[in-house]
Parts: sequence; C-alpha cells; structure tokens
Amino acid sequence: MAQDMTLLWGTGSPPCWRVMIALEEKNLQGYNQKLLSFDNNEHKSQEVLDLNPRGQLPTFKHGDIIVNESYAACFYLESQFKSQGNKLIPDGQTEQALMYQRMFEGLTIYEKLYAIIYYEWFIPEGERHDSALTRRKEALTTELKLWEGYLQKLGSNTCLAGPSFSLADVTVFPTVVSLFRFGLSAERYPNLGAYYALLKGRPSIKASWPPDWLKNPKGQDTLKDI
Amino acid sequence: MAQDMTLLWGTGSPPCWRVMIALEEKNLQGYNQKLLSFDNNEHKSQEVLDLNPRGQLPTFKHGDIIVNESYAACFYLESQFKSQGNKLIPDDQTEQALMYQRMFEGLTFYEKLNAVTYYEWFIPEGERHDSALTRNKEALTTELKLWEGYLQKLGSNTCLAGPSFSLADVTVFPTVASLFRFGLSAERYPNLGAYYALLKGRPSIKASWPPDWLENPKGQDTLKDI
Repeated sequence: MAQDMTLLWGTGSPPCWRVMIALEEKNLQGYNQKLLSFDNNEHKSQEVLDLNPRGQLPTFKHGDIIVNESYAACFYLESQFKSQGNKLIPDGQTEQALMYQRMFEGLTIYEKLYAIIYYEWFIPEGERHDSALTRRKEALTTELKLWEGYLQKLGSNTCLAGPSFSLADVTVFPTVVSLFRFGLSAERYPNLGAYYALLKGRPSIKASWPPDWLKNPKGQDTLKDI
Repeated sequence: MAQDMTLLWGTGSPPCWRVMIALEEKNLQGYNQKLLSFDNNEHKSQEVLDLNPRGQLPTFKHGDIIVNESYAACFYLESQFKSQGNKLIPDDQTEQALMYQRMFEGLTFYEKLNAVTYYEWFIPEGERHDSALTRNKEALTTELKLWEGYLQKLGSNTCLAGPSFSLADVTVFPTVASLFRFGLSAERYPNLGAYYALLKGRPSIKASWPPDWLENPKGQDTLKDI
C-alpha cells in the first residue's frame, strides 16, 4: 500500500501539500518520498521528467500508476482507499455539492494568490506593469471577500463544506495557510483567520506542514496591505 | 429530477458545454435552461448574480443546491445519478487514475488555449506584448504535443482514459472542439483530429453542440499556424 507509493515534492507548495494531507488522512503514512528543491530547478530533473513530462511537483506514483495533478491524486486516493482512514467525500447531497463547489473555487483562489506571489517569476521584466499587479491585487481582494462570506455563512468551527473535514479542506487549506505565510492580515480577514486556527492543529496537517515554514516561522509581508 | 434543474449558459463556452454533455449522458434531458449572451454582458446580470456571485457561466441549480463550477457540476451529477445514464467514472483502478489525471491536465489545456484565443479579451491594450503572445503560443504548442503523445499511446478509437467514455472526455472534448473551431490544423495534429472525429457524433455531444457554431460553421483561423 503506502510502500508502493512514491511522492516527489517541494516544500511550501500547496499542490504538494494537498497530496500529503490526503495520504495522512487515508492512513497511508510510510509512503516513499523525496524532497526536491524548486530553487535548484530539481523539478526539471530527469528523475521527475521520467514520471512527469511536465517537470512539475507533486509527482506521485502508486505501483505502475502515475497521478501527478494534485486534485487528481486526492480523488484517486479517496476512491481507492475509501474504506480506510477518514471519509473525505461526505454522503449528504447538500454537503457533497458544497464540497465540489468549494474545491473547484479553490483553484481560483490559488490562482489569484499566485498571480501576485509569482508575478515576477512568471512575467519577464520587460512585460511587467504596475497596472497589471494592481489589478491582480484587486482580484485577490475580491476573491478573499467571497471566501470570508462563505465562512461567515457557515458559522464558526466548521469545515468548508459543513461539519466534516472533506476534500474541500484538503485542497483549499494549504492555500489559506499560504495567504497568512505571505502576510495576510487575520484582523482584516477574521473568518479566514478562524478557519486557519481551526485546522492548523489537525494531525494530517501538522504531520505534513512545510518543513521550511517550521524552520523559518517568519514569512513574508507581500500581502500585508491586501 | 431534470425539471428541478436550471442551467444558465453561453454558447461556445467549454465550461458550459461540459455540464450539458454530463446532463445528456446521465439522461437528464428536459432540464430548464436559458441561453445568455457574453457579448451583451448578460453573465453579469442580476439573474446570474443571484445564483452566482462571480457572475460567470455556467450557473447551475438543482432544487436548492447550486453548483456553478463546471467540473464540480460534472462530479456532482455523476455521483447523484450514478445509477442512471452512462457510467462516467470507470471502476478499473488504472482507467480511473488515468481519467483523473487527464481531467485535471484538461484544466491546463483549456487555460493555455484561452491564453492565446482570449489574449486581447483579458489583457488591456497598454499591457500587451508580442513577446507575451508568442510565449503563450509556444506554451500551447508544447501542450498540444503532449496530448498528441497521450492519444498516440492509447491507439485509435479510444477515449482519453481508455475504452470507455468518461469524465475525462466530458471535460476535455469541448476544449478539443474549440481548438479546431479556432483553426487548429488536423494535419499537424492528427491524433487530436481523430479524437475529435471519434466523438463529435456521440449523441450527448451532438445534442449540446454550441448553436452558434451550427449557425456559423466557419470558425476562426487564430490557431492555423500553431
């Protein structure tokens, strides 16, 4: 089971973290894993390319089966290991629908966050514009207000889709942690702050917390004025 | 069932088309639907905003349940209507894993297409650069070669995850049809051309074909040199 699995990953990467949370939730501790460095371009190494022509992390193998897209790996693990660990897709129709909705909105909040954090990584110097970065910040602000509203409506001490921790939390919580890592104000976004506080101590999440965020508790302040 | 469902949609939109294919595949014909115009900004109308604060299409309601993200709606429909229509998630472990992997790569595929075809829609005039559009075209070319490889490896007359039509095809086929609508050369991309030819006559796909593509069979040539 876990011994037939291998995860190639990088620290501080929400897509990698999602898969690691899912593995923990399904009691698949003990999987083989290798921490690679994005900064040293190890995600483009032959070792990764042999399993993932895109040269991206996470890269995940289970026996002969390769599932590299983080959401795909999460769905795969829940489906294949449905009878062990925690149930990550609720049976209730309303809760399930909300889970799916929030998971896929989760792609949007991740994208809007990284459109700012990776602005200079992705956009060559000659193509950068203050107006573009400003627009991205406004888009993130709009997005954050949406999620504050979602959490407010649910009330306190609940997960994203209702009472049970689900794939919505597996996929979105890493993005929420990143927001605060990059300096988002919990005063300005109290519902996101409460959600973060609620889940940061969950065993699967503690067990897989990005090691360099533990070593360097002080993050960045890119988002302090958002 | 279908009479409790409402879909607000726009023509030529792959996300809308995905949901319509899924509804057809699950034998949910007869759902209430309203065709809205992106050009007239009807996706930002109060009617849409009441159901979808993002002002986006598709917007989908089933009784009191709202699921607007296209992939979320597809998963929801397959899960809630598992026992009717066509099975869209294969049981076989290998096929299922491949389905999940291709579905999520499908998001990247769609994004890289839009980065070329909607470049001017998304990027204000003062921020456009030939170098950026060139880079987006190169990224699309790289992406297309990956998918040609995937289809080549599967052989002819199969769906994306194997012999059975699955959620991978529901979510990715609309993107493939868009590529050819925008002038992609089937000579240069024969495996994608064959996949397109294989599925374009499938009942669920024919039934939901974008009406303005039927009215105006001649598409654009934006991608003719890709």
